Amino acid sequence: MNPLVFAARSLRREFRHGELATLAAALVLAVAALAAVGTLANRVETAILASATELLGGDLGVSARRTPLPDSFTAKATALGLSSSRSVEFSSVVFAGDNSQFSEVRAVDEHYPLRGALQVKDAAGMQHNAAAPAPGQAYADRAVLNALGRKVGDSMQLGGRDLVITGEIVSAPGGAVFQFAPTVLMNATDAEASGLLGAGSRANFRILVAGAMEAVADYAGWAKDNLPASARLITVTEAQANLRNSFERGENFLRLAALLAALLAGIAVALAAQRFARRKTEEVAVLRCLGASRREIVLGLAFELLLLALPACLLGALLGLGMQQIAFVFARELLGTTTGSIPLSASASAFLIGLAVLFGFALPPLLRLRDVEPMRVFRRDLQTRLRRFDALYLLPFAVGGLLILLESGSTRLAGVLAGGLAGVALVTLVFTLLLLKILRAGSRRLPGALRFGLANLNRRRTLTLIQVGALALSLTALDLLAVVGPSLLDRWRADLPADTPNYFVLNLQADQREEFSGRLQALGADNLSLLPLAAGKLVAINGKPVRATDFEPDSRAGNFVEGEVRVSWSADLPPSNRIVDGRWADAHAQAAELSVDTSWVELFKLTLGDTMTFRFADQEITASVTSVREVDWDSFRVNFFMMLDPAHAENLPHSLISSFHLPPPASLADLSRAMPNLSLIDVSSILDRIRDIIGRVSAAVTWVLGFSLAAGILVLFAALAATAEERRFEIALLRTLGANSGQLNAAVLGEFAVLGMLAGLIAAAGAAATGIALAGNVFRMTDYTPPWLSLALVALASAVIVMLAGLLGTRRIAGTPPMLVLRHGT
Amino acid sequence: MLSAEKLSKAVDGPDGRLLILDEVSLTVERGASLAIVGASGSGKTTLLGLLAGLDRPTSGSITLAGESLDRLDEEARARVRRRLIGFVFQSFHLLPALNAEENVMLPLELEGRSDARQRAASVLGDVGLGKRLHHYPHQLSGGEQQRVALARAFVHGPQLLFADEPTGNLDQRTGAAVSDLLFDLNREHATTLVLVSHDLDLAARCARMLRLRDGRVVEDDA
Repeated sequence: MNPLVFAARSLRREFRHGELATLAAALVLAVAALAAVGTLANRVETAILASATELLGGDLGVSARRTPLPDSFTAKATALGLSSSRSVEFSSVVFAGDNSQFSEVRAVDEHYPLRGALQVKDAAGMQHNAAAPAPGQAYADRAVLNALGRKVGDSMQLGGRDLVITGEIVSAPGGAVFQFAPTVLMNATDAEASGLLGAGSRANFRILVAGAMEAVADYAGWAKDNLPASARLITVTEAQANLRNSFERGENFLRLAALLAALLAGIAVALAAQRFARRKTEEVAVLRCLGASRREIVLGLAFELLLLALPACLLGALLGLGMQQIAFVFARELLGTTTGSIPLSASASAFLIGLAVLFGFALPPLLRLRDVEPMRVFRRDLQTRLRRFDALYLLPFAVGGLLILLESGSTRLAGVLAGGLAGVALVTLVFTLLLLKILRAGSRRLPGALRFGLANLNRRRTLTLIQVGALALSLTALDLLAVVGPSLLDRWRADLPADTPNYFVLNLQADQREEFSGRLQALGADNLSLLPLAAGKLVAINGKPVRATDFEPDSRAGNFVEGEVRVSWSADLPPSNRIVDGRWADAHAQAAELSVDTSWVELFKLTLGDTMTFRFADQEITASVTSVREVDWDSFRVNFFMMLDPAHAENLPHSLISSFHLPPPASLADLSRAMPNLSLIDVSSILDRIRDIIGRVSAAVTWVLGFSLAAGILVLFAALAATAEERRFEIALLRTLGANSGQLNAAVLGEFAVLGMLAGLIAAAGAAATGIALAGNVFRMTDYTPPWLSLALVALASAVIVMLAGLLGTRRIAGTPPMLVLRHGT
Repeated sequence: MLSAEKLSKAVDGPDGRLLILDEVSLTVERGASLAIVGASGSGKTTLLGLLAGLDRPTSGSITLAGESLDRLDEEARARVRRRLIGFVFQSFHLLPALNAEENVMLPLELEGRSDARQRAASVLGDVGLGKRLHHYPHQLSGGEQQRVALARAFVHGPQLLFADEPTGNLDQRTGAAVSDLLFDLNREHATTLVLVSHDLDLAARCARMLRLRDGRVVEDDA
């Protein structure tokens, strides 16, 4: 026989008879879900990136210290069809009359900004989008205007040049989130003419580029190979260190959703394939009887799968694209992004994953058919002798594992998810076997129909294990999508509560403390924290002197050694700090003690007990490391890498640094006039921007989670209804013997209730455990508590859904005249 | 006990409508035995299924113990079967999930009887399987499985027994033993028997024989 011809014929026949329809439907649905979620995730990711480019002011940046970047960097951008903009940043003091203000100056060319909008307020206080300042003009932060006592329309001096202030900066793309000084934006030609950029100036020179994604990627590749020694690339995500966490979290959420959709798809296909294989047994027995070789059988089955899979996967991919387009139309407002071209990569990979899932999950049960005994033709009840172990059974696990690894794009996420699911599978195995044992012993006392249903569970032990396992795994995935995902999102949004500090104050002197606190209280400020700040130099570690030259040029460690180190102290561990090793400093410590942030521990390879020596003006202090802290740098509070014990630090020369939340419309203008030495940093706008991004990303993620959930429930329902078909013969026979529909329902409900309850409970516990692991290891959230009540309710709902699906599947069968089933046998 | 009037059954096939049974009429008295014989495809099993209320005729009517089957829905027909009918099939059709005793208990349990276990054990003893109560179908030989099926058919004291090729899946000796048992039980319980077979020797043990060809009655020795 020609296996291909035979496969084509079988496929046509079986499809007409509905044999293969379930498998095809599961596959179509699976690929559609994957393609839709994948594409949607892709587009949401693009939207997230787009909002990040607005912050950076371009799609990619190159930054160089001290010397301008060569012209080849702009020439290359032009050659690739990219637009580019040059800027330079440096610190300087601006003057107006007797007043002065230390500022971060950014000098930009006329192309600035390439992405996002520069917003300023004019003299009348009207806010509008503006072009880069013209030569002879400048925009300044409100803090600069306050300090100089000037308003829009006045002029100020910078580097010996007069500049007319033509706007108050509202938001300017490309700045750092935290600057220790307010911003002045001026034209690049003025900066060059002012002589402030002469040799040895500590300026940062920057080129930003923007354009088509591929061209930007090409440019990044070229720039990497041609970077001068002091230069580095600034990608969108690293541009805003504070936002990196948000982007990473958003991305991980999307990947998680896509991954869970893929997993659900795999499970559905596996269930359908199992059933298909069982139905094929008779045919294979006859073929074997008629002399077909094992090779012909295997080839025939493989061809049949392929002939089924190709059109099903194609249809699924197309359907998925359609579905995501509908979803995107609804979600666009949330994302606030323009329509781009639809990325096809997710659909293509969904197509391939569909093939891999089908072969990975369907081949093992089908290939087992090569061992069907031809004798089955005569004795249907003859069991196929199974090999004790078949390497083929590892195939679904291999495909599943590979899927998780490839789709997650992160070993951490893959590890947590794979671990969680493996745990669920193991617990399911143990508890199902235990339950079957109990049922075997206890079911004798149950009424007939119910006992019959439960006895079925024991007879199909392997099938029961597969079904409970598949159910528990898919319910875990659904629980993660429906309950754990949204609760993680809530936890994320709670990261920046309403009273998050929106002002920072530097240079506060110890004797100003009382007055400062009193004034803030009168203004209605809350969440006030005040910490001492001493600036010193790190001079030795474990008694051995450290020099910047000990480290790579321009490395982070080297910069810390070369520059100033800011140190603080406090009797109590500040909020948003967590001790991960050692203990918080003793208030009455005999010898100086030091608490170090985890990143410094890595940077300087420190362990508990090491000593560090700092010099503050004429004082030197050597302290031993007694604790390691994990600091939440996104908390918008004042935080320090190094904290000394108060007893030994108190007498160091220091000022105070403060953070607080000032509810609008209160103004600090009076405070600033009364205490002119204070540097006020207003972070309200960046805080709003971060909140906005978290809001947008989490809204989009909610959409994707919901979408995966809907697809998952659909897939699960189809798979469950199909397993009810397994009961076709038994139901027909019970009907023949006179069972009424109540008795049939009792049998099916009993069976499905046990399946659903067990799977639902294990899934809820598994989802909670996976959620905790995801929060801690993937999303870097502390104190996450899974929503136990919701999970318990969902476990209950799962059991009901499983029962309903079973009942629905059975209803269809119960309507068939028993004669038909009995004539066709099993 | 059982009567059929102008019973027809047609199905839609690839070449149009196919008539499987064509206006078959018959009457079976209480306690009588009727064998329906005919070649493969003559419509024997279809007729049996219709008479037992397992399927609905395309036209015609069936009256079973005074109840008009064709007017009842599936639910009501199931009630009639539970009360009045026992079945024996060619391929035994035991439930593989249940052991011999539990299989025999089924009809009693469907009626909600509390003595199901004792009754089942006793009837299984009557058919010589008293020591095989807890064996599952796959642990029994073909002959033993058919004896379990016979026990299941008689356990609830039906008024009518339908048997479809009851020895068709058994070797000659086992078949003879099973058919002896079938007729013994039938006599003992005074059951009305309708049997389908193409084994003329088996059919000859019934008081009356009805021959079908292409869905029509061609011979009735009533």
